Amino acid sequence: MASVLLASDFDLPTRSASGFLLRWIAPRLGPVHLFSFLDRRLPFQLAAPQSDIIIGTGHGDTNAFTGQNEAVILEVGKYNRREVEGKVIKLVSCQTGLKLGPDLIRNGALCFAGYSDDYVWVMDADLAATPWADKMAATSLLPVVDGLNALLDGKTARESFDIELEGYTRNAEVEEDELVKSCLEFNRENAVLLGDPEGRIRARPKLPLPFRLVPPPPILVPLRG
Amino acid sequence: MANSKELWQQYQEALRRGDKEAAAEAFRRYLEAKKAEGRGGSKPTLVNLSTRAKDYPNAVPLEEIPDEMKRSPEFFELLKRMGKGK
Repeated sequence: MASVLLASDFDLPTRSASGFLLRWIAPRLGPVHLFSFLDRRLPFQLAAPQSDIIIGTGHGDTNAFTGQNEAVILEVGKYNRREVEGKVIKLVSCQTGLKLGPDLIRNGALCFAGYSDDYVWVMDADLAATPWADKMAATSLLPVVDGLNALLDGKTARESFDIELEGYTRNAEVEEDELVKSCLEFNRENAVLLGDPEGRIRARPKLPLPFRLVPPPPILVPLRG
Repeated sequence: MANSKELWQQYQEALRRGDKEAAAEAFRRYLEAKKAEGRGGSKPTLVNLSTRAKDYPNAVPLEEIPDEMKRSPEFFELLKRMGKGK
C-alpha cells in the first residue's frame, strides 16, 4: 500500500515543517513523496486513491489545504471521494480542523487529525538549509513527528494523537522560553481528531539505521522572498 | 531590570486588556531581557501555516512582532488567542 506525503517548501514555515517530515517520516514511507514542486493537485489526484495514509504539511485555512506556492490540494466540496475514502489523514496546517476535516470525514476518510486554529511555532531562520537541526522548532514539530511515527508503527489514531499531545505537554513543562511555551500550549489546545479514533494503517518498517545516523543533505532550493 | 518571565506577564496582561501599544512595548522589553539572559536562536522567527488570505505574514522575526501587532489587527488577535487573552 502506498503512502502520500505532501510537503511544500517555498517559505520559512513550509521549509521548517517539511524538513522535519523529510528527516524523520519520509524514510519510513514508500512512494509517493510530493515534495516541493511536486506538491500540487494533479500528482495528488493520481497518488491518493492508492494510498492508505495521507500526511501533509502546508498552508491552509478553514476550507482548504494547499501545496507548493499555495496551490490548492484539497478544498471543501472540490475533490473526488476516492482521494480520501478509507484513509487516515494528518494535516499539519492552519485551521483545517474547522471545515475541511469534517468534510473529509463526511466523504469517507477513516479519520482526520489537524488543527482548529493557526499552527504556530518559533524557528531559527538561520537554519533554513538544515531545518531538522533547529532545536527551537523541534519543540513543536517533534511531537508531530512522534505522533506520526506511532501511526506508522501501527498504533490507532487516538493513540497517535495522544502521543502528540503528551509531547506538547512534556515540552511545555520544561520550556523556559515563554513564547515557545505559549506556541506549544496553543497547538495542543487546537489539535483535533475526527472520525474513527480506532482507525489505523498497516505498520511500516522502522527507520533503517543509515537514516537514523545520517541526516539528509542541506536543502538548496531557494525560498520565496 | 525585570526578568523575562515578569515582562512576559506584563505582555500578557496588556494583551488581555487589548492594549496594543502596551503589549508591543512589553514584548520589546521581554525580548531585550531574553537577549540579556543569553537565550534564543540566532534569528528566532514566529511562523505559522495560514494562507495569504490573512493580513499578517507567515514568518515574523521576533524583533518585528511589536510593529506587526500594531499594524495587523488579525495578528494581534492571534497573539491574544496564543496568550489566552480571549
